[in-house]
Amino acid sequence: MEFKVGDLAHLLDGEVVRTTGDGSSVLVKIGGKEHSLRLLRSGTNEFEFILDNTYHHAKIVQSGSSEVKLIVDNQPLSVKKHSKLAEVLEKASALGAAGGGDRNLASQIPGRVVNIPVKVGDGVKKGDVVVVLESMKMQVAVKAHKDGIIKEIKIKQGASVARNDLLAVIE
Amino acid sequence: MAKKISSILIANRGEIALRVIRACKELGLRSIAIYSDEDVRAVHVKRADEAYHIGPAAPAQSYLNMAKIVDTAVAAGADAIHPGYGFLSENENFPEMCEKKGIIFIGPTAKAMEVTGDKMKCKEVMTKAKVPTVPGSDGTIEDVEEAANVANKAGYPVLLKSAFGGGGRGIRLANNEKQLRQEFEMASAESKAAFGKAALFVEKYLQHIRHIEFQLIRDSHGNGRHLFERECSIQRRHQKLIEMSPSPVVDQKTRERIGEIAVRAAAAVDYLNAGTAEFLRDPEGNFYFIEINSRLQVEHPVTELVTGLDLVKLQIAVAQGEEIPFKQEDLKMNGCALECRINAEDPFYDFAPSVGPVPTCNIPYGPGIRVDTYLYPTCTVSGYYDSLVAKLLAWGRNFDEARVRMKNALDEFAIEGINTTIPLYKTIMDDTNFIKGDLSTDYLDRFKIFDKMGEDVKDRTKERALAAVAAVLMQSEFVKKAGAVQDNPAARSKWKSRGAIN
Repeated sequence: MEFKVGDLAHLLDGEVVRTTGDGSSVLVKIGGKEHSLRLLRSGTNEFEFILDNTYHHAKIVQSGSSEVKLIVDNQPLSVKKHSKLAEVLEKASALGAAGGGDRNLASQIPGRVVNIPVKVGDGVKKGDVVVVLESMKMQVAVKAHKDGIIKEIKIKQGASVARNDLLAVIE
Repeated sequence: MAKKISSILIANRGEIALRVIRACKELGLRSIAIYSDEDVRAVHVKRADEAYHIGPAAPAQSYLNMAKIVDTAVAAGADAIHPGYGFLSENENFPEMCEKKGIIFIGPTAKAMEVTGDKMKCKEVMTKAKVPTVPGSDGTIEDVEEAANVANKAGYPVLLKSAFGGGGRGIRLANNEKQLRQEFEMASAESKAAFGKAALFVEKYLQHIRHIEFQLIRDSHGNGRHLFERECSIQRRHQKLIEMSPSPVVDQKTRERIGEIAVRAAAAVDYLNAGTAEFLRDPEGNFYFIEINSRLQVEHPVTELVTGLDLVKLQIAVAQGEEIPFKQEDLKMNGCALECRINAEDPFYDFAPSVGPVPTCNIPYGPGIRVDTYLYPTCTVSGYYDSLVAKLLAWGRNFDEARVRMKNALDEFAIEGINTTIPLYKTIMDDTNFIKGDLSTDYLDRFKIFDKMGEDVKDRTKERALAAVAAVLMQSEFVKKAGAVQDNPAARSKWKSRGAIN
């Protein structure tokens, strides 16, 4: 499996070489080098381990087939997973098959829709304001995450949205 | 009023309510909290001796509901009310209503609030008291010749501001008399069209200014003291982000000189209790008075750390009619204190507000570290109130010790569930301009701090790349062992997504 950490250019290959005993001693190979890992605590979403004599704490925030969002040592970051299979799946979905992923514009915050300055069919550029929300006495502009055309608008003026609610679809 | 206070109702919430409750506990006073529907589990409610439900979440129906608050104070038998900051703290009707009901208001008189609340009136009073103000018109100007005179006296460049409304028209800049006459024409016409009158203000345009304020305390016997300066130049949209004492550009002579002016300003409005005189300082070193904030401010702990004083206890003493127990010459500036205001906003997404539950948090501590906050694991950050969730302070024997302590404390500070402005402060603590003390109200843009912040995140990500991959590998192993389905769109929705820790 190959991994892309954040915006770092190079991919890192990674695999578990072997696990010993009760599973708390693990030998991993990352970036062509072997590293010893001692698992101190593990749960569904959280891991504490010592990697090459340095302590680390990781909490998984969001996990998907191709991307994991986590917090490592108090720093949020994302790790994208690349395998031949994953690449094939990505290409297939990009050809217009079902599955929103990149087309979806979701809200980062809960709030109330106060303005929708676009309509279905409008062309937008990355950074254009698609929806204006109000929260915590402030107005927040939700901007288009990519260039494209507004395919659908999922909300109406005055509606209340929760974090991660789908606002619009941009093709 | 020389009445002994034995109980105080705190007409506020969040960290400042907890601050006042702590002072009450130290003085053996009964602390009475109020809370809205949103704050049922708030820490200030838990810590107070008594707590009264005041209304639904919306501030207008709870923390701004003056009548209900005063009635609650009477019913609870409170001797006094502390207004905190924000909310009703600078509403002159509040001390009036308290007085009518025989409750001591811990703060200035209604009369002093009235004067300090009216910027033009205040400027008049200050000019009479020979307190230097921003050069410009003393009142509104309707005639272009008068405007030109004022502008010449103040010195170009000047700003032309509309006396009414603000709207989108806003402020016009004039670099010389020719431009002034042109701008005045246009601004007058707009003003006449919109409001029927061509009333404008002319003010000297100060650039690369520093915001330096002096903490004041004045008792009912006419004793006024200044508790040194705080520099609050690092701001965004006029909101302070970082405050510090001493200011890198204030030496002892200047401290005494401007401090004396600040004390004189407080006397000029017959101020009572704690307040702050705000000044702007231009690159030439000239100080201009802008206003008096007639309340205890957010950044008061900065002064507490360098003076060793407890300002809330001092406020209570003054409210009881006591004399300030020290002379000006008794005060000494000790070391250096910094404060970072931690807001529930995402600095990578245009400071978008972040609300919701905070499942866990790690609050920093150690030598020279102070945190004033309402956070605790399982608390909630509400969208109904302002976004300040914690004040992180660091004290050191000198600026650099304070700065490094702050840096380390920011690294330790972990708040799960919401986005915060912690990454911004991490970048600033290492910024060479900040370290040199090269501050101004346009600091963030001037030194492209947001770009640096992005670079710092990249660096931190790189440092953790190995550990991140290792963690993802562990997750796969764990999931394999548990036999759960990892890749399944339906399962994806079961993962709650959380906001990031800084």
